Amino acid sequence: MTATPVRKRRFRLPTMIAIVLVALLAMLPLLANAYALNNYRDVALLGLFALSLDVFWGRTGILSFGHATFFGLGAYGMAVTTIQFGLDPAWASLAGLGAGVLLAAVVALFVGYFILYGGVRGAYFTIVTLALTLIAGHIAVGWSSVTGGDSGLIGVPPFSAFGYTFYDPVSSFYLALGALALCLFGSLWVMHGRFGLVLKAIQDDETKVRTLGYKTQWILLKTFVGSAAMAGLAGALYVTGTGFVAPDLIALLLSTEVIIWVAVGGSGTLVGAVIGTAIVWQLQVKISSISFAAWPIAIGVFFILMVLVFPKGPADWILRRVRAWQRKEKTS
Amino acid sequence: MIEAAIPLVLNAMTLISILLIVSLGMAIIFGLMNVINLAHGEFITIGAFTLVAVQSVGGGFWLALIMAPLVGYAFGFILEKFLISKVYGNPLHAILVTWGLSLILQQVIQLGFGAAPQPVNGPFSGPVSIAGVLYPSYRLFLIAAALTTFAATVVVFRKTRFGLDLRASIHSTEMAAVMGVNPDRINAHAFAMGAALAAFAGVLIAPMAAVTAYMGINYLARSFFVVLVGGAGSIPGVAAGSGIIGGLETVLSYEIPVTVAQAAVLILAIVILRFRPQGILPS
Repeated sequence: MTATPVRKRRFRLPTMIAIVLVALLAMLPLLANAYALNNYRDVALLGLFALSLDVFWGRTGILSFGHATFFGLGAYGMAVTTIQFGLDPAWASLAGLGAGVLLAAVVALFVGYFILYGGVRGAYFTIVTLALTLIAGHIAVGWSSVTGGDSGLIGVPPFSAFGYTFYDPVSSFYLALGALALCLFGSLWVMHGRFGLVLKAIQDDETKVRTLGYKTQWILLKTFVGSAAMAGLAGALYVTGTGFVAPDLIALLLSTEVIIWVAVGGSGTLVGAVIGTAIVWQLQVKISSISFAAWPIAIGVFFILMVLVFPKGPADWILRRVRAWQRKEKTS
Repeated sequence: MIEAAIPLVLNAMTLISILLIVSLGMAIIFGLMNVINLAHGEFITIGAFTLVAVQSVGGGFWLALIMAPLVGYAFGFILEKFLISKVYGNPLHAILVTWGLSLILQQVIQLGFGAAPQPVNGPFSGPVSIAGVLYPSYRLFLIAAALTTFAATVVVFRKTRFGLDLRASIHSTEMAAVMGVNPDRINAHAFAMGAALAAFAGVLIAPMAAVTAYMGINYLARSFFVVLVGGAGSIPGVAAGSGIIGGLETVLSYEIPVTVAQAAVLILAIVILRFRPQGILPS
């Protein structure tokens, strides 16, 4: 058997799942009420955030522990631009979106340049990005004249562009879904192409890829900045939906939650990140309703189990259990 | 002139001492054993809450200062046996396991003691006069304690059998094992020692800090940077790293808000690592 048909099939499956997923989500407004729809909108944007982490972590194998920084920068960029500057409401949202995405991308470019070109990889990258979230969180709380400090900023207007305001739940849900679908198909397309293959090669052996003439640092930096911009987009749209921004959007806990969303869906699959977000979000609602402290403990237990029991993610663990069980059925 | 310089120097010394003492445990666990321990902040918290617990049953500061390293040592030893020994050689797994542990510890401590900052008493109150300048006596004690602990740690690593075994085991685990050093035992004791140092630091900083379940996180990133900037794997590097990070932070916070100064110093540390990835005083 040649390698080509195998590759084709493996590359097509996630895309098909993504198409089905987006189609199913697009039908949600027919079934759900306004309140539930607002929740689904938030989940779609958090899914976009998870997707942005998966683009970097899943494809390069380098774990960023600071992705909430970029989500938060997008959120604060949007909130500060629309609230503090008194811009014309017709354009404020677009300016805020631009500011949020740009802020996330520029910070990623700056930090990414210093650490990726400095040869910081693997676990050290994780520590530096962890510190990045702490710094960003410090600034969000400390610089209260701009960011509103601990209480954050209230009154972010709903997203509006070209004279249309995404005010009601249905239109704002479709806005979120549109952004998610665009980024999802875009990343699937890029990652299944030449660029994705180079990234996969870098994950396996960066030195070899460099020997072949690829500027691996530049490729990693591009991926990091793209991933950060996507997180910024998710953050900026998220606050137009909820209407307020608070320091927990730029906190370390969010940085770690997003890792769980991606891990549950299976890192590197892209579409899995979105599905993982939806599953964990449902769980979080259930667990948090028991006790306020229960959710962080659940996250902690999950991380420990993830390493000791299912290092390749729960999906892989379940699949292997099912396969082993099927084999047993056949032999007996 | 001198009246203005003395508090500045002493404030810098205080912060450097705090960083030095909270980073020593990190230097062993992360710098020497190469285990990324995100629960290090919670080891510090455990030390501080040992003081809270000892004081609530009528014990004093000095008793807590002896108790905390023992608690930290026992905790670290058990932890190494059941969790950390499973993740050697896989930094990502170490990060995830210790972060999970950190989240659990924070919540358990908060459930046990409540969310409000705990009142603790230091052994000294009131200031003393140095060359005509009044300075809190506890801070002077802290500086002395940090320097003593640092010196003691260096001696343990340079002059004792345990230090020799540990350095040999880190240099080449296989060769050390061939020569009769049991790496499992050495690792367990080294990790426990790092935890004990962190708990000891927790007691020392408790009278100057807001003692809450989340206090450790403030020291986590800074102690990582102290070890990275100073040079992973070298104990003297900890002094260099604390000196740079603590000194800069003190000087900067005279001009700009403290949170911004902390942020600026961490950004500077990232820049230093770009140009000197092996740290300032590598081993």
